[in-house]
Amino acid sequence: MPGLTSESDDLAMVPVTPESENQPVVIYPLHHSLKSPIHRLSISWACGNTLRVSVFRKPQSDTTEGDGEAGGRVVEVKLSSSGDEKVDGARWRRIAYSSVTPFALLQSRKHSLSAASRMSLDNPPYKTECWEHVIEYSKEISSLLSDQKPPPRSIIEDPKSVVNEIAEPMCLKAAWELLEIFYVDKQSQSWIPEQLLDWLADYNSLFSGTLPTVHSKLVDFQQELVGVQVVEEDPNYWDAMSSALAVGWLETVVKLLRLHGSYRFDQLSSRETENGLVEAVAVLISKMPRMRPSLREENLGDCYKTKPDFMKAWEKWRTQISKLDCSSYWLQCDHQQTREGLKNLIQIMLGNPTVLSNATFNWMELLISHFLYVRPFTAGLESMHNSAQKCIQLKPVSSPHKLSGLILGILGENTEVVLAECSRSFGPWMMAHAVELLTAGSTHAEILLHEEHSKLGGVSIEELHRLVYAQVLSSHALTWQIAPIYLTSCIKQGIGLLENMLYKQPVQHSQILLKSIEICRLYELDTISSNIMRIAGVHHWKHGRKGSGVFWLQQARDEFRLNRIAKQLFDFVGKSVSDEGFKQWEGLIELLGSESRTAGGLEFLNKYRDFRRSLLQVHGDTPTDAACNAAEALVSLMKNPSTPQRFWLPLLYDSLKLLMWQERQLLNVSQTQFLLNKLQELSMARLRPDFVEADLPSDALSSVRLALATNLGRAILEE
Amino acid sequence: MAVLTSSSQSLQVQRFPQNHYIDSLRWLPQLSAFHRHIILAAFDSESSTSSLQIKSLSNESSSSNPPEITLQSSLTTPSRISSLRTSQNPNKPLIAASTFSGSLLLYTADLVNGSLDFVDSVPEKGFHSGRVTGIDVSENGLEFVSVGEDGRINLVSFVGGRLSCRKVFDSNGLVSYGAVKWASPVEFVSGGLGFGLQWWDQRRPGGPVSQFKANWNHGTTSGIVHSIDIHPSRKHTCLAGGSSGTVFAWDLRWQQQPIMLSGVGTSDLSALSPSESDVWEVQYDNYTTSSNYRNISESRVLPAMICSEDGILAVIEQGEEPVELLAEPCAINSFDIDRQNPSDIVCSLEWESIAILTRS
Repeated sequence: MPGLTSESDDLAMVPVTPESENQPVVIYPLHHSLKSPIHRLSISWACGNTLRVSVFRKPQSDTTEGDGEAGGRVVEVKLSSSGDEKVDGARWRRIAYSSVTPFALLQSRKHSLSAASRMSLDNPPYKTECWEHVIEYSKEISSLLSDQKPPPRSIIEDPKSVVNEIAEPMCLKAAWELLEIFYVDKQSQSWIPEQLLDWLADYNSLFSGTLPTVHSKLVDFQQELVGVQVVEEDPNYWDAMSSALAVGWLETVVKLLRLHGSYRFDQLSSRETENGLVEAVAVLISKMPRMRPSLREENLGDCYKTKPDFMKAWEKWRTQISKLDCSSYWLQCDHQQTREGLKNLIQIMLGNPTVLSNATFNWMELLISHFLYVRPFTAGLESMHNSAQKCIQLKPVSSPHKLSGLILGILGENTEVVLAECSRSFGPWMMAHAVELLTAGSTHAEILLHEEHSKLGGVSIEELHRLVYAQVLSSHALTWQIAPIYLTSCIKQGIGLLENMLYKQPVQHSQILLKSIEICRLYELDTISSNIMRIAGVHHWKHGRKGSGVFWLQQARDEFRLNRIAKQLFDFVGKSVSDEGFKQWEGLIELLGSESRTAGGLEFLNKYRDFRRSLLQVHGDTPTDAACNAAEALVSLMKNPSTPQRFWLPLLYDSLKLLMWQERQLLNVSQTQFLLNKLQELSMARLRPDFVEADLPSDALSSVRLALATNLGRAILEE
Repeated sequence: MAVLTSSSQSLQVQRFPQNHYIDSLRWLPQLSAFHRHIILAAFDSESSTSSLQIKSLSNESSSSNPPEITLQSSLTTPSRISSLRTSQNPNKPLIAASTFSGSLLLYTADLVNGSLDFVDSVPEKGFHSGRVTGIDVSENGLEFVSVGEDGRINLVSFVGGRLSCRKVFDSNGLVSYGAVKWASPVEFVSGGLGFGLQWWDQRRPGGPVSQFKANWNHGTTSGIVHSIDIHPSRKHTCLAGGSSGTVFAWDLRWQQQPIMLSGVGTSDLSALSPSESDVWEVQYDNYTTSSNYRNISESRVLPAMICSEDGILAVIEQGEEPVELLAEPCAINSFDIDRQNPSDIVCSLEWESIAILTRS
């Protein structure tokens, strides 16, 4: 076993996965603080994501036993999950917590809708209603993925700030929104390219890891901008603008153009033509027709809702650009950089492929620029996919980003690829929740995801992913309690796994115990509930908490074990026990007695307790009244049919001091005769083979008989 | 921020996500109107460490700047905290915390500098074996009573800067206690399994002077008392909350018949019960009654606030519809009503966050 050869104080555990670049070997040090060499290791799963490692020393020979060191130690090792995404545990749990409610709500709505649709035959209203629910669900999940507060908005806008530094958007949110655009948002299918543009504007920074992007270029330029005096002479100024224009960040371009030196008051007169050209380009950019119902607050352009309107406007806009391109004013502009830079921007707007390719850094950006300027009327996934393929050829990728893989899968209408990409890059949370979007979006996906697979144990892919996610949840001490929500949405295997999970929860922790019982109550798992209570009861009983033990056994209605306990109490009868022991015994009878149904023999024990109590109060010098009461209790106990025969002699033997009371006899003739008869009955019973002899001195019978006879004699004389 | 308006009062709720589980939390005495502090017992599951934290609450109620809570001080505790109590000494409040391992820790908070200092502790040995389920601090802040799963009851006095501990009772595991509350300087009430309550008087040692055993729900399952409260103006009445949404008041003068306030076990009340699962904490709610509680007749139970496993924070009043303040998708583990400012409530949610409610 790896790690066992170590001679150091602490063992290290090395997982035996083959080393690869993606998964470096993780070493977990064990602090077991055993000094001598380790003889044996035993590893098992503990609660959640922890391993329980039992470390044993070599069994010591008798001579060295006294070294005071333990023979072994049990240590727990928490395996940290090395998630791809840099989301810390608390953040991840927050996502898990807040996605519970939308998920559960959607499930219950779908459930009631499908119940309703079975009743009535009109299908369409059901479909649209279902869609609305999925949209609501998707928006809610998407909003919880960005739980950070928006940055405070300054009232005075910095004219030189061109890129907003958003607090690091999460890849997960980007992927979610991508799925939402393509699968859920059916009403805006016609303007998917524009949505993709918005999406890239939000998440472009995610792509700038090692490779440059438009966003990273702009960030670099913004830093530079502070120190630059004459921007229009800086080639980066023009580069930044052409890149931003290529991906459609019109407001950024216009803002940058207005920083042009010709706008300065002192230069306006001398550079009038130049300024006119800059402004003309800026106006044209801000008037760009967009095929979308509305724009975001800060964005520029003219919106068109219908395709004919948009096409008309687009042709007009293009003509204006061409007109400007051929304008004679260019000859009068003597600032070379401005002329070339503006011409370049015009080329972008005219859709010059080479210029676009130079202005963008990866195929995603190039694709967006093609949507904007080369094929503005692209619609349908197939043509988008073709464009994407062309862009990839122009800008091949060495190490594809996980989001680009997802986009290609979506554009290629390949559900399997989308699923694989989601699962590989975004993990179980994404899989469990995104399936809802996929099934809402395409019939093909719905069939694929809902089909039951025999090789998956008869579950569908949808259920499989929920089960996997539930497993992840149940491996953490704080999230296990939300796993039932997901498990109960799994028709085939969910309940079975839920039962397993509940059984695995440690009962010694009362909060967890009560939580498990509460979960059982919610999902009507009565058998599990009483089993858990029974386990808890036995646990508490074993650890000396008899009260808790009996309580939980009673809650579990475990007659069998309660009777076992009651039987143990019988052993006490006739034994001499210390006061403390009697108190324990008494307390237990009280505990058991509170439940009337477990009365098997408890009636006798209760009577016996009363008798024993009164007997304990009787000493040589106590008044006769107390002794009289004890004698009454004895007789009533002996008369009671519930008193087992085997206790008759011990009872009488216990009461010898009553039978031989000095002051006067306590029992009258008939009572004494009754007791004598009982003794006779006992002697007959002894002849039977199944008779159990009480553990009493050998002369017990004769001394009782003698005492009774004496008593009888005294009683006859008295009467 | 959410603003709910019910017929009589409006409510502001603010939620603050934390990065750890919150075992318990309390308001600390208020230094000034703008300085509010909360003490919370946090448990970090990643590192399996627990800590006590002082959080300060900025309370400039302007619409542009929502209130924020900031960590002022944090001390790691040797074991997870099971119960937390504070003394109402405004300058240097004492904070008593009982642990899962069976010890008692005493801290003092310096609210001016926002620091937390360890004072003394009672170690596990000879105190409790296993979890201390409940502690309470006396009115003068110097006497603590503790109860545990092990069936022991201990009194701890804080004299001369040191803690000294004295065993009051040991049931040797025959009884497990779940909660405790002082009734007077010499009397306290404990509660536990089977909805049992025990009244103890230090002048009569050896056992409880009075006991209540629930028998109202024959045939249905019994439950556990998780929390007890006693109102200073009515020391003969003990309010208890526990399993199955059960809340009842036990009046020493009518010991046989508890006054049921809520619970699904009793059929005539289940319609009025705000919760069906464990009631984790009960406290008398002085807010609604501060002006007119003298008018409430002696025989009626004062209004009480509860928080529950099924995510309910509500005010219940005898014979009236409960007023629901919060309905969360997760459990509300504990709450505290600010004593000086009873309109303000802080509560801890199972999903690692804190909610602060302001009634107006």
